[in-house]
Amino acid sequence: MSVRSEFTKGLIKENPVLRLALGLCPSLAVSSSVENAIGMGISATFVLVMSNLLISLVRKGVPSKIRIPVYIVIIAAFVSIVEMVMAAYQPDLFRALGIFVPLIVVNCIILGRAEAFASKNTPLLSVVDGFGMGVGFTLALLVIATVREILGNGTWYGISVTPSGFEPVLLMMLAPGAFLTMGLVLGFVNWMDQRKAERDKMESVVKAGFARSRKEA
Amino acid sequence: MILRLGLLLMLIAALASGGLALLNTQTAPVIAENKAREQEQARTEVMRSLGVTRFEKRVADDGLVYYRAFDERGVLIGYVTVARGKGYSSTVETVAGYDTTFHVAGLKITFQQETPGLGTKSQEIRKGETTPWFLQQFAGKDATTLAVKKDRGDIDAITGATITSRAVTNSVREAALKVKDAVAHEPVPIGQPALSDTLAAEIGSAASREEQP
Amino acid sequence: MDLSNLLVIVVGSILINNFVLARFLGICPYIGVSKKLSSAIGMGMAVIFVMTLASLASWLIYYYLLDPATSVWGVDLTFLRTIAFILVIASLVQFVEMVIQKLAPALYQALGIYLPLITTNCAVLGVAVLNIDESYTLIESLVNAASAGVGFTLALILMAGIRERLDTADIPKPLQGVPIAFLMAGLMAIAFLGFSGLSFG
Repeated sequence: MSVRSEFTKGLIKENPVLRLALGLCPSLAVSSSVENAIGMGISATFVLVMSNLLISLVRKGVPSKIRIPVYIVIIAAFVSIVEMVMAAYQPDLFRALGIFVPLIVVNCIILGRAEAFASKNTPLLSVVDGFGMGVGFTLALLVIATVREILGNGTWYGISVTPSGFEPVLLMMLAPGAFLTMGLVLGFVNWMDQRKAERDKMESVVKAGFARSRKEA
Repeated sequence: MILRLGLLLMLIAALASGGLALLNTQTAPVIAENKAREQEQARTEVMRSLGVTRFEKRVADDGLVYYRAFDERGVLIGYVTVARGKGYSSTVETVAGYDTTFHVAGLKITFQQETPGLGTKSQEIRKGETTPWFLQQFAGKDATTLAVKKDRGDIDAITGATITSRAVTNSVREAALKVKDAVAHEPVPIGQPALSDTLAAEIGSAASREEQP
Repeated sequence: MDLSNLLVIVVGSILINNFVLARFLGICPYIGVSKKLSSAIGMGMAVIFVMTLASLASWLIYYYLLDPATSVWGVDLTFLRTIAFILVIASLVQFVEMVIQKLAPALYQALGIYLPLITTNCAVLGVAVLNIDESYTLIESLVNAASAGVGFTLALILMAGIRERLDTADIPKPLQGVPIAFLMAGLMAIAFLGFSGLSFG
């Protein structure tokens, strides 16, 4: 349970969106542009890290019966902080993300990690776990946003990256594009998993074969 | 037992609220200032073509907020207000500037969350230009009779975004009618040209000073 | 009362701006509960109920306690909106859980973990926030909430009906389970896009 492994697991092996199927609502809604995806990713990571930290600090003092409401209050407080600060200092991003800023409070990733990890681990590990999950969330958002923005708008982070004759596929920017992209990305992740599992199986069969032939020799 | 848990939860909620209240004292003024600055910028932009330099706020009896616009000599040039219309997935807010005959001087959309690629084209600016192409066609037209072509007017709606186009067009027209009505009920003395309040006050005090021996 | 206005809200929240297929709200339970038709219907009913009650409670709290223009103490407490709303929703879900456990234990078993998860259903908090953002009156908010719930249930039932048939279909292995659900949601979203032509003059 090293610090490094707690961080990296959130990136790929236990990526909250692509593996644990958490945080799907914002992943679909906010991924129509890379800029919005990054803004949401940073905000959610902030809330995740801070709430994991605070919940881990008070985990021994909170009576079990009211722990979920307490976690909710803590998470909601940090989301409110993000709301206020973003509205004041990044009003354009605030307008672009719309209702999905307050909706960070019901992002299943945050409550999920609070219950599954922060309530049972030290503050340091909880912060690292939160940070890893947050970065993993942001990465997943970036992948989907990249596909949608390039195909649907011809740009990446607002910069045109397609040849001038390219007709953007408007559907990618709308709701169906989000669902289709998510489905294909998840399917791709599954495919990679299955290939790896098959390769591992082949490896172990071959190894067993070698061991047997050596024994028989 | 339940009571104790409930109280503990309320205590934690109160603590959280207190912290947020503190932060709010910092951010609320910034947010308000942002909004005010943005509105002022929009007002200046839409009246720029008429050489307006000053605005005076007026509030009509029904709560309608509009601004009288003056040039540097203090002559009334027109009016500005905020037009709101229900779009496809949001209420579209447009800052609308009219001249004294209620022809459109300029428009600026300050809030919309319409369909990306369709309704959002209402704010799209073509390469090399400075204002959205959809809004350019409104300039100079009689605001009180605006309508999209489908409604027997002469505004070209955005292809695939009729609802958004209608929202902007109809709200700008309705706002013009409301301001026209409010202006007609303004307490301006008959026979005097419309002057800004401060200029009128200055002239008034200068006149009364002259009359003294 | 402006009935045509309410009709616009109803059609809008069920079809034109369907909460799941157009607004992306309520996806997690949507993917999780849409595997069987019977649990989909039960979940849908519970969500409609919670959404309407939650919107009622949150609207009252916002305008009587938080909004300086209309509250009993005139202080601007709108920054407490998120905390207040989510606490209201969490308590309501607890309450509904207890009621269902007493009155319909079979449904309680069928819904399992997904019942408390209604708390984190973005659609419930989402509709409460939308009611305030769109400055709806109390009646408009309730109608919006109920319609949003109906729209959610509609999407859920459609999806469950299709997924039950998929059990016998030959789907490529990587796409089985959640990915194919998303692809189908995408196709349904395209179909629902057709409603965007609906207008009321």
